[in-house]
Amino acid sequence: MPWPDLVDESATVVVDDLSMRYHVTADADEAGLGRTARTVRALVGRGPSMIVRAISSVSFVAHGGEQIGIVGQNGSGKSTLLRVVAGLERPSRGRVLATSQPVLIGVNAALQPELSGAQNIRLGCLAMGLDPDRARAAVPEVAELADLGDAIRRPMKSYSSGMAARLRFAIATAANPHILLIDEALATGDAAFRERSEARMEALRRDAGTVFLVSHAARTIEETCTRALWLEHGRVVLDGPAADVALRYRRFAWALAKNRPNQARKIIDAARQAHEEVAVHVLRTPAPRGIARHARPRVRPRTPAGVTARTREEI
Amino acid sequence: MTAARARQELVAGGDLVPVGTRPPIATYTRRLWQRRHFLVAEARARVAAGTRQTILGTAWLVLSPVLDGVTYYLIFGLLLETHRGIENFLGYLVVGVFLFSFTSRCVSGGAQSITSGRAMIRAFSFPRASLPVAVVVREVLNMAWVFTAMVLLVAALPPVERVTWRVLLLPLVFALQVVLCTGLALLVARWTAAVPDVKVLIRFAMRLWLYGSAVFFSIDRFVDHPTVVRIMEANPMFVVLDVARDVLLYGVTPAPGSWAVLAAWAFGLLAVGYLVFWSAEDTYALA
Repeated sequence: MPWPDLVDESATVVVDDLSMRYHVTADADEAGLGRTARTVRALVGRGPSMIVRAISSVSFVAHGGEQIGIVGQNGSGKSTLLRVVAGLERPSRGRVLATSQPVLIGVNAALQPELSGAQNIRLGCLAMGLDPDRARAAVPEVAELADLGDAIRRPMKSYSSGMAARLRFAIATAANPHILLIDEALATGDAAFRERSEARMEALRRDAGTVFLVSHAARTIEETCTRALWLEHGRVVLDGPAADVALRYRRFAWALAKNRPNQARKIIDAARQAHEEVAVHVLRTPAPRGIARHARPRVRPRTPAGVTARTREEI
Repeated sequence: MTAARARQELVAGGDLVPVGTRPPIATYTRRLWQRRHFLVAEARARVAAGTRQTILGTAWLVLSPVLDGVTYYLIFGLLLETHRGIENFLGYLVVGVFLFSFTSRCVSGGAQSITSGRAMIRAFSFPRASLPVAVVVREVLNMAWVFTAMVLLVAALPPVERVTWRVLLLPLVFALQVVLCTGLALLVARWTAAVPDVKVLIRFAMRLWLYGSAVFFSIDRFVDHPTVVRIMEANPMFVVLDVARDVLLYGVTPAPGSWAVLAAWAFGLLAVGYLVFWSAEDTYALA
C-alpha cells in the first residue's frame, strides 16, 4: 500500500478507529439463562447483562467548512458517535482528536428547570467558558434566536419540549463553537425557527467551523450538508458527498419501509462496495516544507471573537 | 481487518488534541479556575432554586439547626443530663449544631452533585469538579444566614459570654472547615458516582460522626478513657467545634496543637479528594 505524499493540514476532527461497547441488563429469557442463574440474579437484583456494540471501528477525518450529516436507522450509533466526539463519553477503543472542544446540542440535555430561560442562557454560557461580561452580552442575542418572547422570563420547567429544544440550540451556538454537533435539534420548531437556525449554522460554517448533524430526515441532510456518513449497526456504510449518500440511504429506507428487504440489501451492499475504508495516521511533527499540500482548499480557522480564541486555547 | 484495502489518510497533528480524556492536573486546575464564574452562578442558582421548594425557604436554613438543637437539648440536656460539667450548655449546643450542619449539608450535597448535575454534564464540557465545589460555595452563601443566627442566639441565650478579640479567629476556623468540606465533597462525589449505594452509607457515617464530635456532650466525660480522648482529639470536626467554642463562648485562645490538627486534616483531605476526583474525570457522564 503506497503512502500518500499528501498531508492533511485542515483537519478539525479526527476519529481514529473508534469503538463503543455498553454492558446492559437484558431480559432473562432472551439471554437463555437457566433457572438457577436467574434465581441468583434475582436475589442480587441484577438482570443478566449483554454487550451492545454501539460503534465498531469508525474512522474519518473532518475538515473546516464541512457540514457532515450522519444518517442511519434507529440504533445505528448516530447519537453515541456524537456523544463520544463531544468527549462526553469515553470510547471503549480508539480516540478522537479535535482542534477545539466540540459542543453538542442534544434534545435530552436539560438545563436548570427552576431557572428562567434568560438565567439558563447565562448559566449555559458560563458553563461553556465565556466570561461574565460576554455571557451577559450573549443573553439578548440567544433570546432572539430562540424567539421565546416573554417566556424567556419564565422558569424553564414551564416550557414545552419544542421551546426547550430551541433554547438549547440557541445557547449552544452562543459560544461560537468551531465544532458543533447537532442531534436532531432542527427537527423541532416551526418553519421560521428552522430558517433562522439554518442561517445561524451557515454563519458558523463560514467561520471555518465544522458542523455535524444527526437526522432521520435524509432530505434535511441532502439540503444542508456537504458530506454524509451512513451508519448501520455502528459501522460506516458509506462516507461521501451528502447528495449521493443521502440519496442512497433514502432509497434503502424506502425499500425497507415498503417491506422489500432484498432490494434494501442490494442498495446497502452497493454502498458498502463504493465505500473506501480509512486508516488515519496522525503525524506529531509538522510536515516539512515542500511536501505537496492536501488538494482541499486550506481553510484556516479564523478567530473572529475572543470567545473562540479562548475556547481553542483551553483544550 | 479491512486495513489492507484501507485508504491511508495522513493528518498533521499540530493543532489536534485528544477529546474527552482526562487532562493533566495542572491544566485541570487552570480550567477549573477559568470556570469560577460558572461555579458561583451555579451555586447562586441552586440557592434560589432550593429556597423556592418550601414555603419558608431560606428560613429553614436557620430553623432546622434550631429544631435540631431543641431536640438535642430535650433529649440529651434535660433527660440524659449530658450538660453536666459544661459551662453555658445552650451556647455549647448552638455552636455545635450550627457548625456541624454546614459539614453535613456539604457532604450530602456533594454526594448528590454528580447525579443531580447529570444534565449539565451531558450538555456541556467543563471540569466536573465544578459541581461538588459549587455545592460547597452554595453552602457558604447559605452560611451567611446561619452564622448571623448562631451569633445572635449565642448572644441572646444566658449566660452572657465574655466577648474578646479572639472572636476574630472565628472566620479562620470556618475557612479551615470550608477547606475540609471541599475535600470531603469531592471524595464522596467520586464514590457515589462510582457506587450509588454509598449515598445510603453516608447517612449512617454522618450520624456516627455527629455523635463522635461532641455536639451535645463534653469530652470531659471520657477523662478515664485516654484512647477515646485521643481519637476524639484527632477528629477534625471535634476540633472545629472545640476551637469555635473556645473563641466564641469561653474567650480562650485555642491551643496551637488544635490548629495544627485541623489544618492538616483540611488540606490533607482537600489534596486527597481533589486527586481522587480528578483521576476519574472521564467517567462521570456514564454514572
